[in-house]
Amino acid sequence: MRKTFVAAVAALAMTAGPAGAQEKVVKIGVPLPLTGAEAKFGEMEKQAYEMAAEEINAKGGVKGHKLSFDIQDSGGKAETATAIVEKFVSINKYPFVVGEYSSQCSYSVAAVAEKYKVPYLVVTGAADKITQQGWKYVFRLNPPSSLYNMGVFSFFETVAKPKSIAILYENTDFGNSTSKAMKEYCKAKGINIVLDEGYQAGAVDFKPILQKVKSLRPDIVYMVSYLMDASLLMRQSKELDINPQAFIGGGAGHTLPEFLQNAAEASEYCMSATLWTPQVKYPGAKEFFDKFKAKFGKEPDYHGVEAYAAAYVTADTLKRAKEWTAEAIRTALAATNMMTAFGPIKFIAWDQFTNQNRMETLVLQVQKKKYETIWPKDAASAKYVYPVPRWRDRK
Amino acid sequence: MTKKAVFLVVPALLVLIFPLAFENPYILHMLILSMLWIVLGVSWNLLGGFTGQVSYGHAAFFGTGAYATAILVKSGQPPATAWWGLLVGGLAAALLATFIGWICFRLRGPYFSLSVLALSEVLRLVALNWKEVTNGAEGILFLPAFNDKGAYYYIIFAIAAITIFAVHRVMKSKLGFYFLAIREDQDAAESLGIDTTKYKLISLMISAFFTGVAGSFYMNYMGFIDPGIVFDLSKISIMMILVTMLGGAATLWGPALGAVIYILVSEGFRVYVGSGHLVFFGVLIIVIILFFPNGIVGSILEAKGRRDRRTDNKDPKQVAA
Repeated sequence: MRKTFVAAVAALAMTAGPAGAQEKVVKIGVPLPLTGAEAKFGEMEKQAYEMAAEEINAKGGVKGHKLSFDIQDSGGKAETATAIVEKFVSINKYPFVVGEYSSQCSYSVAAVAEKYKVPYLVVTGAADKITQQGWKYVFRLNPPSSLYNMGVFSFFETVAKPKSIAILYENTDFGNSTSKAMKEYCKAKGINIVLDEGYQAGAVDFKPILQKVKSLRPDIVYMVSYLMDASLLMRQSKELDINPQAFIGGGAGHTLPEFLQNAAEASEYCMSATLWTPQVKYPGAKEFFDKFKAKFGKEPDYHGVEAYAAAYVTADTLKRAKEWTAEAIRTALAATNMMTAFGPIKFIAWDQFTNQNRMETLVLQVQKKKYETIWPKDAASAKYVYPVPRWRDRK
Repeated sequence: MTKKAVFLVVPALLVLIFPLAFENPYILHMLILSMLWIVLGVSWNLLGGFTGQVSYGHAAFFGTGAYATAILVKSGQPPATAWWGLLVGGLAAALLATFIGWICFRLRGPYFSLSVLALSEVLRLVALNWKEVTNGAEGILFLPAFNDKGAYYYIIFAIAAITIFAVHRVMKSKLGFYFLAIREDQDAAESLGIDTTKYKLISLMISAFFTGVAGSFYMNYMGFIDPGIVFDLSKISIMMILVTMLGGAATLWGPALGAVIYILVSEGFRVYVGSGHLVFFGVLIIVIILFFPNGIVGSILEAKGRRDRRTDNKDPKQVAA
């Protein structure tokens, strides 16, 4: 028994590294939630990181080194994410940290990275405050959540011109931060906010809130939700026959392929802010989407492409860094100016933000059970439908 | 020096000089978390193990302690406030305990357990929605006072030592015997003239106080809290019970051992096993419960008690306490 075990381990060890000892590897630490409530997002990102690393290594890696991401499970817990980064910095001596998913964990990791003066690239954590601390070592690839709505705003100004809005959001950091930007915008533009209500994460019965929405008859129903709540909100709106000019989501749940399945016909014509769709005209976007779908049998959303782009930004930074120390990598990262499948990446400072990438955000709409990009016009794959037909007028 | 004192002082000294020898922030971080969980396990055990009042909602006191200090700091007090804020956190939690205990301990059975469970959920919702005071889901940020982990290490060591010492003293005093009497049989305890409501309340207050101090320390150390982190049912309330049960309920050192196992072993699995780590940790817990039904320390003491009784009829309960 014992002998077989030893033999098995030896066989494993032999298959693990075919190129053997001569191969040089550069490792970058990535904490991600692979278990717990956020595991779905973590898994998609892990696959995207690994796919990107394969591609980069197939093209010769980085300065003769193989690029490898050391992905560790944080379970979505802030204290575990912190522990992982402490370990990356003090034991593994990685000079660069990338990743995490939620705003909460990204924020805790950012504080640790800043303390140890190790550059950290935030990939999906969207709460505004992460890049508003004036931190020198914290960079963010994704736009902050207050910008998630920029596409929606321009759609409002050019097309919709709504007079009233009902705002519903999940009571989390992301939901608060995103809906706050919408509220401020509406106040500035004189759009009447008839309802502003946060609901519990994990809630299933939205009918009391939706009844209120129905009686207030707003032009727009705006929602910031994750997956289940996004689907249920749409289904229950259909049941209650609520007919605004449009339903608009604030990203996250409303952009996932599972939303189309769960909400089924209730998702038709629902719009959402999004950071990315496979129809964007950035080089490699469509290729990424097709390759990911073929390889893992499921469609990636913007979280996947963010991780994919982050891997390329990492490789680019390592190539440009004079030496692989935290300080030199920070300098190289700050000078990043490149195009990725996710869009152009450049870290700049504006308002209270520092080291923050800025990019155009889009609006998509479900049309015939598919996501179509409808705004801005030059990126659109289909013409918008606005106002949307009443539920009872649909066939 | 007695043999027992040597067993206490030598490990304590080792723990004290450890940061001087190893200045590795990752290892210190794991040890700080272990000691934090020692405080949580030991204080839950005073109420749940010794007094027999199972609480499913100790996150209520943990979160109250964390938020009391956080709000104090947020209101513009100097950062040093956070340190005497530890005391404020503990007192706020004890005050909350008085309120809930005063109402619930008049009843018997599962009422208390369920009420604290509800209380911790209610507080989470309050913290989530009372934005003017708590910042809601955005949480409260507090930039840590020290960059050096050594300082936190000694502070949490002191808190853990005081907690263990306090519980030890309480259990050696008249109070401790009242607690055990209440756990064993409330009717018998009452017939002996013990005011059960009052003493259950005292047990809860002490337990809540140290839990609150731990919450306050957590806030100081991590530098960021939000309602989902500190009022979490499964990651705080339930883990406090698990830590106690693993090590041995109603033993002084059991919860401490349980805490160390929880933090260090689960971290070890996470690092060395990778994606399946939760399964391995789960299996380990099952194995411990199978072979040590009274927890590790509890089962060892019981076996020792049986052996002693065979030789000189010593009462195992005294050994345990």
